[in-house]
Amino acid sequence: MSSHATATLDHHNDPTTSTGIPNKKLLMWAFLASDCMFFGTLISTHMIYRLHPPPGNPDPRAVFDIPLTSFSTFILLMSSLMMALAVNAIQKGNVRSMRFSLLTTIFFGLIFLGCQVYEFSHFVHDKGLTISNSILGSTFYTLTGTHGLHVLIGVIWLTAMYFYSFTGRVTEKQAIDVESMGLYWHFVDIVWIVIFTVVYLLEYL
Amino acid sequence: MDATVKSSFIAEQPKAPAKPLVLWRPSAKTGLISWLTTVDHKRIGIMYGLFAIFFFLVGGIEALLIRLQLAVPNNDILTAHQYNTLFTMHGTTMIFLAVMPLGSAFFNFIMPLQIGARDVAFPRLNAFSLWTFVAGAIIVNIGWFLPEGAPDGGWFGYAPLTSKTFIPRHSIDFWVMGLQLLGVASIAAALNFIVTIINMRAPGLTMMRLPVFTWMTLITSFLIVLSFPAITIALVELMMDRQFGTNFFEVSNGGMPILWQHLFWIFGHPEVYILILPAMGIVSEILPTFARKPLFGYPIVVFSGACIGFLGFAVWSHHMFTTGMGTVATAAFSLATMAIAVPTGVKIFNWIGTIWGGHLKMRTPMMFALGFIWMFMIGGFSGVMHSAAPADAQQQDSYFVIAHFHYVLIGGSIFALLAAIHFWFPLMFGRKVSEFWGKLSFWAIFVGFNVTFFPMHFLGLNGMPRRTFTYDGNMGWNSANLIATVGAFILGVGIALYFAVVIYTFFKGEKTGRDPWDGRTLEWSIDTPPREYNFAVIPTVHARDAFWYEKHHQAEIAKEKAEHAQAEDAHGGIHMPFQSVWPLVASVGALIGGIAACYHNLAWSLVGLVILLAGIFLWALEGADGYHIHLDKDGNILDEDAHAKH
Amino acid sequence: MSQATAPAHPGEHHAEESKFWVYVQIAMLLAVITGVEIVAIGLPFSKWLLVTSLVILSVVKFLFVIFYFMHLRWDKLFCTILFFIGLVLAGGTAWALMLLFGVEDSKPLTYEEAASIAAPADVRFIT
Repeated sequence: MSSHATATLDHHNDPTTSTGIPNKKLLMWAFLASDCMFFGTLISTHMIYRLHPPPGNPDPRAVFDIPLTSFSTFILLMSSLMMALAVNAIQKGNVRSMRFSLLTTIFFGLIFLGCQVYEFSHFVHDKGLTISNSILGSTFYTLTGTHGLHVLIGVIWLTAMYFYSFTGRVTEKQAIDVESMGLYWHFVDIVWIVIFTVVYLLEYL
Repeated sequence: MDATVKSSFIAEQPKAPAKPLVLWRPSAKTGLISWLTTVDHKRIGIMYGLFAIFFFLVGGIEALLIRLQLAVPNNDILTAHQYNTLFTMHGTTMIFLAVMPLGSAFFNFIMPLQIGARDVAFPRLNAFSLWTFVAGAIIVNIGWFLPEGAPDGGWFGYAPLTSKTFIPRHSIDFWVMGLQLLGVASIAAALNFIVTIINMRAPGLTMMRLPVFTWMTLITSFLIVLSFPAITIALVELMMDRQFGTNFFEVSNGGMPILWQHLFWIFGHPEVYILILPAMGIVSEILPTFARKPLFGYPIVVFSGACIGFLGFAVWSHHMFTTGMGTVATAAFSLATMAIAVPTGVKIFNWIGTIWGGHLKMRTPMMFALGFIWMFMIGGFSGVMHSAAPADAQQQDSYFVIAHFHYVLIGGSIFALLAAIHFWFPLMFGRKVSEFWGKLSFWAIFVGFNVTFFPMHFLGLNGMPRRTFTYDGNMGWNSANLIATVGAFILGVGIALYFAVVIYTFFKGEKTGRDPWDGRTLEWSIDTPPREYNFAVIPTVHARDAFWYEKHHQAEIAKEKAEHAQAEDAHGGIHMPFQSVWPLVASVGALIGGIAACYHNLAWSLVGLVILLAGIFLWALEGADGYHIHLDKDGNILDEDAHAKH
Repeated sequence: MSQATAPAHPGEHHAEESKFWVYVQIAMLLAVITGVEIVAIGLPFSKWLLVTSLVILSVVKFLFVIFYFMHLRWDKLFCTILFFIGLVLAGGTAWALMLLFGVEDSKPLTYEEAASIAAPADVRFIT
């Protein structure tokens, strides 16, 4: 009973709950299921308007910049890797390693956001695609902007956790807090995987 | 949940370090602060109930004004615009601010007791849900007190009626932002309930031993979590259209208003089941209790509930048969709608099977429950009539539809919720409504309800359209409308009588002891009114009707409880969560930001956002700490000791 | 309490050690797949083949992330079920919406189409 401090914690089984799944993890998965519907309907809106464009709708191929988007996709994938490593580190009680991985994740997240800000301003000023001058602009900016907002919330969460870890209160026992944050971050990544294919790549066929 | 293991985590924790002033923990047990900062699921449930009843009465007054206007042809008590405002607010209020939170009140109060838990999984998140619900309710209704006026675009806000072209006032912005916050509150609460039911069941309480009300809470929570995102997106798109000039529903720039209808009903149809499934759960608790029999076909009732929940996502377009979806889609949604009637019908037979041959005790809750079965069936029959697309084309937007959904929502949801208030009142407050006055209010409501809504079937089939503020005297609708208005006032008197009796009972009613109805589920095994810790000893469940089993195996249960009490006491006692002020602060931030966003006021929106984020941040920072209590033999608290649980 | 002692399966501890490299390898794989996707859109294959392969590649990426990075592989099955309820409903809803809007009857008419099928009196009204 008193051996918790010394023995390895099993991070996939919580004896205090009926199912063995920690409450916070279950909450996060249920929330992500909900978020699937959220992005599902939002992506559907974009696809519906892409399949039925009104006359005079701009051609996305004349607007999009695939090299830039590919770069930010790659960056987001790498941030996911660093997030997974952060969770891995804290589950072994390695706070320093977790801190480094978190910082890298935040850094990659900020690069992604920077790319998006650049992309938006480039589209608006150079390509003439605004949020109100066409249905493509409306759906594109709302969809990718909502995703960007999710990334921003994730970056704020990560930053708060990074500074909180200096209080010494993030230990192996609080790994679930980092893990739930990680689940959220990875979800933002998989939504981007879908958006990258559906919104960007399919336009080029 | 193994209590002994849980406490071993706590025992080795160091004492909490002295906290800075900003992380102040309120500890008042009585008074306003204690209610504003409470994390107790029972208090939160009671507050949900009070707000819901308040808005139920507001919505009722709106309905009476509508009926007053329609009493005679060419009436001019209300202008067309006032009428639009009233039916919009009546629908919005009744659905989002009355029936849903009243269901939530019972989810909060009863469900943790039924699963043998001391609270929900995330007590502070639960408080946040309550206060965000209040913030949303304020924003939806704030227009009454402002020159903009209350929302007037219909409770379903069909595009392009809600566009800036047709309603430039901020009334629709209030509606959008209010519903958005109500959605956040509902999703947060539902996530909490899902985790609670799945993870915090008492030992031995397997899923197939859960009381049916808890099962329906679980299914309803899943419906909320999975359907509200659709309306969130629809509202975001509408907000973008109104505030930032996007073109989602703007026809002149290639937008399709029909998309709003799809997104709205993807949410809207599961919403119908969000309103009715709790009612089905309540009735499944009341009937066995007063029929003195176990529920007939428990697994079938549970499975039909799940089946209804799942199919509820596949029928949304039956609200849109007349929009021209093509033959294949129409046929598919028609079939799915007919299919969903099957599990609903199965449940009706289960309830009849439950009372069949039982020793019926005709108490007031039982009257409402029996009324539910009958009235809900009538609503179900007219519902199945709508599923045939050609028939629906005739009934669409007529008073026949009004009759249908009021039979389902009043005869269904409201009857069951009124039954639930009487049924669980002795548990909540230790007093019982007098049978005479309870039954009198039942008959007044029952008669008033039928006199109001039954004639509407004929009005609808005779072609009277809904949402029109008046009609000509030569259409043949005069007498039925007058009867309906008279009925509405009888119903109003019945409802007033009902709540007058409830208020009287709260202060002066007959006192009851523990378990006044000879109940079968765990909530009846505890003191009335319940102590803040709910269960002195976490019960072990041995059978489906857990409390009936305990009554018949008293020696065995007493021995088991004594052992568990000793074990828990040895491991630190009963853990209670601290109260917290931050959920309230976060909700206040959402309220400020929400109102400012309606006015497109960036500065105040940011202020609200900062308060919201600060509230959430400090909420996380203060941690899920708690304290421990030890009890004497009678369940009184001996001492408390503060502990850091994290 | 068994959860406090050594992991139940002897091989599990070894797996924990090497998770670092599993994550790195998967990240590399995901990057490669993304590269393949970007190249694929320029290849001269038929459209259906490209759409299918893009969808399959994205699904593979998606599954790798949720099962490895998000630990579904090592967690209780119920987490997977919970997430897939949302995922399947979202997918089904999106699919139904695509079909509904794809139906000929539900497509909005363009100005020319509306003018050509309308009666002469109505044409005057429209113009």
